[in-house]
Amino acid sequence: MEDGRGLDLIKLTTDKLSTDAVSESVTCSSCGAISLFIGTTRDHFEGKRVVQLEYEAYVPMAELEMRKICADVRRRWPTVRHICIHHRLGVVPVTEASVIIGVSSPHRSDSLEAVKYGIDALKSTVPIWKKEIYESEEPCWKENSECLWTGSRAERKTT
Amino acid sequence: MNTEVTVLYFAKSAELTGVKSEIIRVNSELTSLQLWQELEHKHPKLSAVREQVVLAVRREYVSVGEQVVRLRHGDEVAVIPPLSGG
Repeated sequence: MEDGRGLDLIKLTTDKLSTDAVSESVTCSSCGAISLFIGTTRDHFEGKRVVQLEYEAYVPMAELEMRKICADVRRRWPTVRHICIHHRLGVVPVTEASVIIGVSSPHRSDSLEAVKYGIDALKSTVPIWKKEIYESEEPCWKENSECLWTGSRAERKTT
Repeated sequence: MNTEVTVLYFAKSAELTGVKSEIIRVNSELTSLQLWQELEHKHPKLSAVREQVVLAVRREYVSVGEQVVRLRHGDEVAVIPPLSGG
């Protein structure tokens, strides 16, 4: 795995995510750091008890946008070695991981910064949606604050 | 000139239309706002999310506005509500 280009590993799956699998997939002997971000599902929102979460994606476009994030990471942190982004779809029981991002680099600062950039970019650009199902209220499609077109069109941050 | 495109609906927009995908005939050159209006005409309930969506044309984001969109037969268009991945 030491020769050739760094890997961009993207996966959207209805299977349970594995932190070990993500960590192992970015392992490289020339790297002193693997940074991981694990996004997990909460059991409450504004006092409402969440009993279930469901994710759906525009899969081919989501994969395309995730690849763009990998390319952006490599432009910003050229020493980054491997990048892995796994996102879960379908029903996700509370407390389980909905997303795991792993990045390896020779020194820790690059992979730590790259992982933060990666999750922020994913929330703002990758076409995936989460629906929260509550114990005693109507289900609700969530909106990321990072999304560029949340809120009214007049207040758009994009043109 | 009209052309046939596939329209995909996601999340809240799919709940409002009751369909996840459909084939429609539209003018092959129109603004993204006119394209949205075609969808809203077909599914009046979509007006509820008018201010909160963007479109994707051939898997690239296009905001709803004056931008001219050129469509070819078989192109994929999608209605993209606010994102909530992660």
